[in-house]
Amino acid sequence: MNPAPGLFQVPWQDYLPALVDGLLKSLGYTAAGFVGAAAVGLAVALLRISSRRLLRIPAAIYTELFKNVPLLAIIFITYFGLASVGLRLDAFQAGTLSLVIFYGAYLSEIFRAALLGVHAGQQEAGQALGLGPVVTFTGIIFPQALRLALPGTGTMLVDLLKSTSLLVVISAAELMSQAQLIASETFRALEVYVVISAIYFVVCYPLSQLVLRLERRVQAGAPLSLRRYRRLAHARALLAAAETKPYSEVKP
Amino acid sequence: MTIGKIESEGSAVTSTLPVVEIRSLVKSFSGRTVLDNVDFTVKPGNIVSIIGRSGGGKTTLMRCINLLEKPDSGFITLQGEPVFSGDKTVCKDLAKLRQRVGMVFQRFYLFPHLTAVENVMLAQMKGLKIPEKKALETALELLAEVGLTHRALAFPEQMSGGEQQRVAIARALALGPSLLLFDEPTSALDPESTRDVLAVMRRLARSGMTMVIVTHEVPFAREISDKIVFIDGGHIIEQGHPSEVIDNPREDRTKAFLRSYKTDG
Ligand SMILES: Nc1ncnc2c1ncn2[C@@H]1O[C@H](COP(=O)(O)OP(=O)(O)O)[C@@H](O)[C@H]1O
Ligand SMILES: [Mg+2]
Repeated sequence: MNPAPGLFQVPWQDYLPALVDGLLKSLGYTAAGFVGAAAVGLAVALLRISSRRLLRIPAAIYTELFKNVPLLAIIFITYFGLASVGLRLDAFQAGTLSLVIFYGAYLSEIFRAALLGVHAGQQEAGQALGLGPVVTFTGIIFPQALRLALPGTGTMLVDLLKSTSLLVVISAAELMSQAQLIASETFRALEVYVVISAIYFVVCYPLSQLVLRLERRVQAGAPLSLRRYRRLAHARALLAAAETKPYSEVKP
Repeated sequence: MTIGKIESEGSAVTSTLPVVEIRSLVKSFSGRTVLDNVDFTVKPGNIVSIIGRSGGGKTTLMRCINLLEKPDSGFITLQGEPVFSGDKTVCKDLAKLRQRVGMVFQRFYLFPHLTAVENVMLAQMKGLKIPEKKALETALELLAEVGLTHRALAFPEQMSGGEQQRVAIARALALGPSLLLFDEPTSALDPESTRDVLAVMRRLARSGMTMVIVTHEVPFAREISDKIVFIDGGHIIEQGHPSEVIDNPREDRTKAFLRSYKTDG
């Protein structure tokens, strides 16, 4: 019995290109799925806080429906189901659509809570300053809601990345699909899936930490845009200049 | 720029038209009348203080002035321009109107995601479309006016209540308003902060700014006001010079209110 060579017998070197390709595809699904889900989530959240029932009700139905259906079922429906009625989506389209629909529902809940979490006085202060509804939203409400939504949104981002592994059922060529191929070729299920899990961890953990850091920075009021960064720098410079003025005025 | 200069840039003092003229104002919330046939006038450069017990309708009256609250009926004219007539808003541009009417809230409502100086810049840039450089200079001058240059880059949560309220005053002044509304500006503050905020308001008053102040600081109101309005149960019970309303009230309800005041502290 020789335990050392027994541990890793899969020729990982040979599979490296496939793994890299799979990982990049997983990240591609994550990016496309998350951007789409955030857009859908924001739109649905805005509809849900609307004063019009006609807008509120369909949005609420959307959220409740897709929050209470398994993602796997949504993937099957968009890939196999729609194909059977003539709407043929490829794996990337169906996979991304599924992620957008599913996570859009969750993000709409997070965004709605965040928008409602901004104190009503903020809207009032904007109004009293003569700001229109659009500026009040983009300049006052949204940035504050973003701060409130960030923790939940970050969790969803990492969750979405992990959920791309479900796309193995439509052979989406992402990381888990590659893992399945390797396992079937090598008959080393334990080793393969432990290594694949490690890869997910190595990607997801830093991402979580990154989100956490972003969260702290935003919480501390750090500028997220270059324009605001410059504005604050300018203010700092003017304040510093004002402080040194009395001395410079003494000079000839 | 000084507080005085801001005022002289406005049109309040040069015009003799009332800054605010309200007639027959009625406002109800879900069937309950909270302002019943109220007449209310503010002349240019005047300080008008509204006093009265809680729930009397002071805040509602004030919020009707800049149409944050839509009256049921009545007439509201600001600097000669009808803004509400009969049962509808006749002001074409509510945003413009509100730029001329600054408002300071009991709970400040500073924008918590922005520093003090950015709070004072925001409406200048996004509402009046003033270029950033100019907006920043104005903001820093106004913060200096309220004694908060050293807090320019602080966030609201890092500031005391009194500091926040003074930033809020600077924010309201930044648009060069012809009228400032204060809704219990010191009610959420400790005595020291109250003193600082009242000092700023005193200076504004001296500079000629037209102000409407809802306050429980009766001695302060007596000191700076040209007119005191006592409101109770949605009615103006009594109004006039402080020497009349506060020193020699005619109505029993005014007397009772002022008496309860003195015994309270
Ligand atoms: N948005 C609102 N909805 C319903 N009732 C309100 C609203 N705002 C004020 N009220 C009621 O109107 C009355 C007057 O309130 P307010 O103007 O705030 O009084 P004050 O400022 O003198 O304390 C109170 O009875 C209050 O409960
Ligand atoms: Mg009130």
